[in-house]
Amino acid sequence: MKRKLGLLALGLIVPLVMTACGSSDDSSSGAGEAGSGTGAITYWLWDSNQLPAYQKCADAFQKANPDVQVKIEQLGWNDYWTKLTTGFVSGTAPDVFTDHLQKYPEFASQGLLVPLDDLIKQDNVDLTQYSKGLADVWKGNDGKQYGLPKDFDTTGIFYNKDMAAAAGVTQEQLDTMKWNPTDGGTYEETIAKLTVDNNGVRGDEPGFDKTNVKTYGLGLAGGGSGLGQTEYSMYTGSNGWTATDELWATKYNYDDPKFQETIAWWKSLIDKGYMPPLEKTVGAGTNQQFGAGNYAMVTEGSWNTGAFTSINGINTGIAPTPIGPVGHRASMYNGLADSIWSGSKNQAAAWKWVKYLGSADCQNIVGEQAVVFPAIPAATEKAVAAFQAKGIDVTPFTDQVKDGNTFLPPVTEKAAEVAAIMGPAMDGVMGGTADVSSLTEANTQVNALFQ
Amino acid sequence: MTQTIAPTTNPEIHDEGAPRRRFTMQRLLMLTIVVLVMFITLFPFYWMLRTALSNGKSLAANPSSLLPADFTWGAFKRVLGLSTVEQAQAEGGSGANLNFWLYLRNSVIVSVVITVGQVFFSAMAAYAFARMRFPGRDFIFGLFLAALMIPGIFTMMPNFLLIKDLGLLNTLPGIILPFLFMTPFAIFFLRQFFLGINREIEEAATLDGAGHFRIFWKVVLPMSSAPVFTLAILTYIGAWNEYFWPLIVASDESARVLTVALGVFQSQTPQGAPDWPGLMAATLVAALPIMALFAIFGKKIVNNIQFSGIK
Amino acid sequence: MTYTPPLSEELEPVKTPQSFWKRHGPKGGTNDWKAALVFLIPAGIGFAVFFVYPAIRGIYLSFTDYSLLGRAKWVGLNNYTKLFQDDIFWNSLKVTGYYVVINIVVQTIVALGLALLMDRVTKSTFAKGVILLPYLIAPVVCALLWFWMLDSQLGIINQFLEFIGLSSQSWFGNPNLVIPTIAMVNVWKYMGYTALLIYAGLQTIPRSLYEAASLDGATGFASFRRITLPLLRPVLVLVLITSMVGSFQVFDVVAVTSKGGPGNASRVIQLYIYDQAFGQSHFGYASAISVILFLILIVIAVLQFRFLRGRESDLA
Repeated sequence: MKRKLGLLALGLIVPLVMTACGSSDDSSSGAGEAGSGTGAITYWLWDSNQLPAYQKCADAFQKANPDVQVKIEQLGWNDYWTKLTTGFVSGTAPDVFTDHLQKYPEFASQGLLVPLDDLIKQDNVDLTQYSKGLADVWKGNDGKQYGLPKDFDTTGIFYNKDMAAAAGVTQEQLDTMKWNPTDGGTYEETIAKLTVDNNGVRGDEPGFDKTNVKTYGLGLAGGGSGLGQTEYSMYTGSNGWTATDELWATKYNYDDPKFQETIAWWKSLIDKGYMPPLEKTVGAGTNQQFGAGNYAMVTEGSWNTGAFTSINGINTGIAPTPIGPVGHRASMYNGLADSIWSGSKNQAAAWKWVKYLGSADCQNIVGEQAVVFPAIPAATEKAVAAFQAKGIDVTPFTDQVKDGNTFLPPVTEKAAEVAAIMGPAMDGVMGGTADVSSLTEANTQVNALFQ
Repeated sequence: MTQTIAPTTNPEIHDEGAPRRRFTMQRLLMLTIVVLVMFITLFPFYWMLRTALSNGKSLAANPSSLLPADFTWGAFKRVLGLSTVEQAQAEGGSGANLNFWLYLRNSVIVSVVITVGQVFFSAMAAYAFARMRFPGRDFIFGLFLAALMIPGIFTMMPNFLLIKDLGLLNTLPGIILPFLFMTPFAIFFLRQFFLGINREIEEAATLDGAGHFRIFWKVVLPMSSAPVFTLAILTYIGAWNEYFWPLIVASDESARVLTVALGVFQSQTPQGAPDWPGLMAATLVAALPIMALFAIFGKKIVNNIQFSGIK
Repeated sequence: MTYTPPLSEELEPVKTPQSFWKRHGPKGGTNDWKAALVFLIPAGIGFAVFFVYPAIRGIYLSFTDYSLLGRAKWVGLNNYTKLFQDDIFWNSLKVTGYYVVINIVVQTIVALGLALLMDRVTKSTFAKGVILLPYLIAPVVCALLWFWMLDSQLGIINQFLEFIGLSSQSWFGNPNLVIPTIAMVNVWKYMGYTALLIYAGLQTIPRSLYEAASLDGATGFASFRRITLPLLRPVLVLVLITSMVGSFQVFDVVAVTSKGGPGNASRVIQLYIYDQAFGQSHFGYASAISVILFLILIVIAVLQFRFLRGRESDLA
């Protein structure tokens, strides 16, 4: 009896194993189809603040194309990429979705995105209508265009107007701050002035107690990882450093002295008591700390303008990032785009929608909502005007583009692996458990990924 | 209809036998501990309520006030789908639409079906392992138990692909199926209780000629109503709070469950903060049906605890 | 039947007449496999289809290089050799172990205490409902709630600490505090649930035993040690094993709060697996780590089961 049972068990398990091995664990369910150019398509995005604007676009689009229906779905950032991935695997991914520079290289290399070059040529879409550089950065490693630019963002400084006034810091001073890795320049002076300890002593006055700070002159979001978009990129960029030497590089530059001296200076702000220790930044976001009066200034991204300017009881001003040793400011210049899934059953309709999303009509609508800066300059102007109508002057963000002070984020393969190394490495340095020179070792590990 | 071992659903009488003085001090201490525990348990819920009744944009400026910051019902309105996009965004919420009652209905269906199926089938299996004799019994039980050790993430993707191959993506059955038949925990749980049941009564029934099914149905189950009810409630809660599985299996509106729908209150942007009031309000609202359930069935558990003998 | 067995007999396992076993015995005599099959089929289907099959598939994947979006490429033991050289993997085992110890010890003691309190002091449904409340809220929300309450600058807990003169702590930001903090958050969440399980077990112990013991002069603690604990053994084992297995798989709280940081101080193993699978698309490698986790859990469970003799119950 026992033997029979054993054989029975074997008989069950073997076929199971065979099916497990046999089934090709690739389930990208075949290629998509062009489709008829009509019917329903789905569009995903993650920012709920932008949802109303894109719904308006969809309504206008559906009016002009009555035989195409667009269904917009919004998923929170954390779930967005997981669902997208499982959607790719199961064949239920959306036809069109908002894509991100750090994620699309992997999708492209797996053949999950539709190259748009032929479609662009065929419909005469003018790629020069977008702000400079935005379309290029969406060209994959193989040279093909994988997204149509949608919007861009830059970095700037949100500051507490009342605190600045109380410290005697004028808007003009804020607009002309300079920093350098040696002594921080007027930037650090301003930060020190805005820092107040629990006894009311300012950071630049004698008797300042750096262990007992009430308001930090400069807030901190986190260690910054390899990108440091809102954390440190405005400093490293204005010190003449870039993370990579070109798009699709296979070598990173975290061992460069210019990078390390910048980070060392940035860390010194914590040691002097002007910036909160890293451990205090885990938790509530910079906008909440700012709203609670714990930070006087924060380096942040333009996409958070709404969040920072609508805090009850706080008067928020916007200032440009400080001028660096190279003689001008710098801001990372990130652009989102819309991509088409290669498994879409209705690529023709998807392309119609993407074309519309990238057109002046839609981007103007989005601009008027005063949430983001669309990729087409005229639409950007509309956004600036819309913000102005709300009493918010966003020119410190848009001037970075106008003045040509922008630089692109690194676009390479294996972005996730790089982040997994640089995240803890930067945490170690900013947390005080590792010396700045440890970043050289981290860089070696990063470069080893590409060998 | 007599009782062999006197049950006590009224322990106070039982306790009175012991010396009074010792009991007063001891009881006071124990009561204090109970009150302390209840406070530790309840305070975060108060904090949830306080946050839920606050205006999202005023939260940061009032971190320590015990009262809501800028009192408003806005969050609850957002949760129940009663507020407009502008109202929502004015208080820091997302403007997304929430078809609350539909998702609630879906959650109820999923939870009820899973609970009924899982508890019943697991009870059957637990009985087999606890009371029946057959070759390989302990080995097979060991196998089932081993399934408890399988990390959830390990089975998730293959299960997802399986549901997809069965054509059940975006349907309620697709969400229900992997949990419907059993979980190792349920079997383990009930088996331990079945093991502890006094064999005398079963033997008596066997001698009277009852087969396994009758014993199971008429003797063991009724005697285990406390653990079974407990398991049912725990299963229900677990099914109700499932988030990740329904998220990846069913994104279509018709099959969305409440927990997934409430994801709209979580972070909308990278490094962004959640809509705190909305999230807290949503949690409270989502927990209400369960609390109601417990309020109704809790009494049943208490009153069913008896080890009276043969009826 | 009004037969009330004398006290001494009650405390020993009941002896069944040999004739009974002759007819229903394990060796020679009817065995129940036909009935057992019927009873086991539904659970068996669930087991085979939703546990065994995926597990086998997962084991297969652990020998491959699979990015979820392409084909699975067989690489033999590569993933496993890589694993043994992976510092972050060993770190995650250490971190997880540390977490499990704190969590289980505190949770079991607290739950046991709570269950006893509920049993002795108050049987009110209200009290039971209250301590079960934390279990009712979704795990992710619970994590977010505590993340907010324990925030190093804005959280109410720290505000309170400063109010009474102590200094505020970075509960999730300080590498030394992050694991204990997460452990305590989960204790808060699951202590009521665990207490309820133990409480249900306490109800299976006949009251008369305690009566008899106190008549014999046994005090509270002695009767706890000699009656409660031994008779509670099956339930305690259940609770310990499932709690430990669950504890090893801690994920939600970490993913929502510290996200593995600062540095790698809270990178528990399930988080590392998830990172590898979904963050970096190394699904084959993630499967290999899962297999190792699986084996560890089995070893622990078997050891516990053997050691604590949870199969027997002194009541039956």
